[in-house]
Amino acid sequence: MDVFGSFTLLLAFVCAAYAFVGGIAAILTRHPLLVKSTRQAGLATCVLIFIATFSLEYLLFTDNFSQAYVVSHSNRDLSAFYKVAALWSGQEGSLLFWSFLLSVYVISVLIAYRNKNGELMPYVGVVLAGVQIFFLTLNNFVENPFKTLAIVNASGMLDPFTRMDGNGLNPLLQYPEMVIHPPNLYSGYTGFTIPFAFALAALLARYPGEKWIHLTRKWTMVAWCFQSLGILLGAHWAYAVLGWGGYWGWDPVENASLLPWLTGTAFLHSVMMQEKRGMMKVWNVWLVFCTFLLCILGTFLTRSGVVSSVHAFANSNIGPWFVGFLMLTMVVCFAAYVKNRDYLKAENMLDSMISRESSFLFNNLLFLVACIAVLSGTLFPVFSEWFTNNRISVGAPFFNKVMIPIGLAILFLTGVGPLLAWRKTSADSLKRNFGWPLIVGVVCGVAAFLMGYHDGASVLCLFLCGFVTWTIVMEFYRGGKVIAARTGMSLMMASHELAMRNTRRYGGYVVHFGMVLVFIGLAGAAFNTEAQKAMNIGDSMKLGKYTLVLQSGDTKAEKNYTAQRMIVEVLEGNKQIMMLYPEKRQFQGTEQAAGTMVAIYSTLREDLYVVYAGMDPDTNMPVIHAFLNPLVKWIWLGGVWVVLGTLLALAPNRRAVLAVAGAPQTAPSAIAQALNPGVTLREGHD
Amino acid sequence: MTKVKRFTYLMLLLAMAVSPVVLAQAGYSQRAKEIGTHLKCMCRGCDMSAGLCAHPGGSFSGPCDTAKDMLKEVDAHLAKGESEQQIIDAFVAKYGSLVYMEPPKKGFGLVAWLMPIAYSIVGLGLLVFVVRKWAIKPPPAAVVPTGISGAAPNEALERARAQAARETED
Repeated sequence: MDVFGSFTLLLAFVCAAYAFVGGIAAILTRHPLLVKSTRQAGLATCVLIFIATFSLEYLLFTDNFSQAYVVSHSNRDLSAFYKVAALWSGQEGSLLFWSFLLSVYVISVLIAYRNKNGELMPYVGVVLAGVQIFFLTLNNFVENPFKTLAIVNASGMLDPFTRMDGNGLNPLLQYPEMVIHPPNLYSGYTGFTIPFAFALAALLARYPGEKWIHLTRKWTMVAWCFQSLGILLGAHWAYAVLGWGGYWGWDPVENASLLPWLTGTAFLHSVMMQEKRGMMKVWNVWLVFCTFLLCILGTFLTRSGVVSSVHAFANSNIGPWFVGFLMLTMVVCFAAYVKNRDYLKAENMLDSMISRESSFLFNNLLFLVACIAVLSGTLFPVFSEWFTNNRISVGAPFFNKVMIPIGLAILFLTGVGPLLAWRKTSADSLKRNFGWPLIVGVVCGVAAFLMGYHDGASVLCLFLCGFVTWTIVMEFYRGGKVIAARTGMSLMMASHELAMRNTRRYGGYVVHFGMVLVFIGLAGAAFNTEAQKAMNIGDSMKLGKYTLVLQSGDTKAEKNYTAQRMIVEVLEGNKQIMMLYPEKRQFQGTEQAAGTMVAIYSTLREDLYVVYAGMDPDTNMPVIHAFLNPLVKWIWLGGVWVVLGTLLALAPNRRAVLAVAGAPQTAPSAIAQALNPGVTLREGHD
Repeated sequence: MTKVKRFTYLMLLLAMAVSPVVLAQAGYSQRAKEIGTHLKCMCRGCDMSAGLCAHPGGSFSGPCDTAKDMLKEVDAHLAKGESEQQIIDAFVAKYGSLVYMEPPKKGFGLVAWLMPIAYSIVGLGLLVFVVRKWAIKPPPAAVVPTGISGAAPNEALERARAQAARETED
């Protein structure tokens, strides 16, 4: 199976090379057979990569310990669930997994547009094949996952060699979220290849109009959704497994995943400028180029260990390859831009500083500043070493100080932007639109202050959360009211109908609401408290309103680890509310031998987060480390809304005509209102 | 800082250093832990501060020995009556600039702090420049279809409708 896998990978490389070279020839000659055969080669590349990936999984599942990769990342006792995850827990496997996910996108694109966009697709195929060639080069020649173990025998020849058992999976990765977090994040990283390929192809082909944006709109949303989910799952994993009481440490790899998310979010907004007003064409092309480059950079930072990080599982020599690919991509993008930039002329001009357009500009400015600030902060230690021979580390406090103002400004725009009209907004409509949201915001801010959240940034954040939420509620209410008046539906049903008729807009609002929830959670971070105590059985410690009593401890042996478990009773006053079971796991046969299982009592108000830190080396008493983290649960709830919102935005619009036809016979008054042009215009108000 | 203030501050520090706040089992004071949040744990295994070191993946997920030693060192400095800044400086002298959790606001470290401000200013400047440039130019013909002269009125109306639909869709 290993030879088979190795061979399919090589074949995939050849196919991709054909798809690339043949594709260029097809574009130049426009020979229909050549166009067709390169497309087939593109499909074949994907299928071969699928086969290679399944071969590696097969080797993992059959415990083939003659394979270097299987030995390093699996063992006999590893459950099947984690054997799937072993595929992406090492360098070689995760690069293969990158190719795999990219192929899923590529094959979907090639099939979905097989009979459409005949002019554009050969170019898209070439760009996609180019990206695939890069990763297949790594898979084949630099980090091949199908390496067989061998020892040098007496005569100096290599003999194949099989180990009895493997080293097992890194215990930090043996957690359910680790099985879904990397695929999500990688699907985000790879997904942005599609809009990139279409943008570059459209530029190269001088493809008319905004079509590439229409074509890639949904792909971008899918990639963005995966990326968001991947980031949040990663944060939740860090929170629930690493046992340090936090979810985001501004670790270089976390930052790397945030960078394309920031530019991708900017892109999702600025494409609307191009669709609606024909503006910012150059900007959009560059934004999507940058997003793709940042995805590659993110993969590079994660995989090369150029900046130290808990995530840099392997330090290796793939760095120069990535740098080379980044440079090459930049050169190609720049050359394509210089050659065909006249095709990107803007059609419209800006009418007013206070308009939807300018709010998008500010949105993009903030996201870009956020992105560059995170990027330069992450790379600053490297810079400082270059310039001063002294590595200055840049840790979480720096990023928090820089990003909190930017984040709050973005949150503010989330509320303001949608209330501004395209082109020009009158002072009157500003007053009408902002009055209630401001009042609700102030109420939220004051309530937060009275509840004991005495921190400027947090109170401001909660004020903005109230403000933004109310602007969203008003958007649904206004539109819903119009439809309710026209069709006689209840307001709830009408709001639903409204969302279904314009899924992208209202899906967007749902995503905004999800982000509001995330921000509420982030606002709580200023009030985290903690306590640590070595305890005997029966001892207690106080944290906030809770009292923790150590009841007992036990040891349980599992298949591939032994867990030491503490049983902690949680009291609020004298009332018992919960038993918590924090664990310390000792894994067999791994280098990094310990893992923690945090026990969390989570409420909307706060998380009681209890870690069994282990036996105190000095006193040999169990140490309980407890954190009280306010509002954390809101972050995960926000994530759910973000996903739901994106799904709504991806759904096709329901036609208003059908809905009216299906509605009960309207009352005369409703018909009268429907005929009233004032009301009809309000529906289209934007 | 007045003499009285300095005296109170010293007394406060002293009180903290000898007070029962010293975590009985940990061997370092709460104050040391606070100052420790500004110092990076030098064990090279975690990326956390000495004050908050939880050492993920270690057999003991509390402060590791390196972090504990650093905190005890902070206590030793505190006992000598040094200020937070003096202590951080002493650590930088000993471990180099790697011990910073955030770059110092002096020397090359200041660059890190000025960068985001510079981006914001340059970005805002560019934005204003672009907006003004866009606003000055008269709108090209494509914006306001004046179909009466060229195309048939119906066609112009259709185009205007299409544009209105496009611009108000979402």
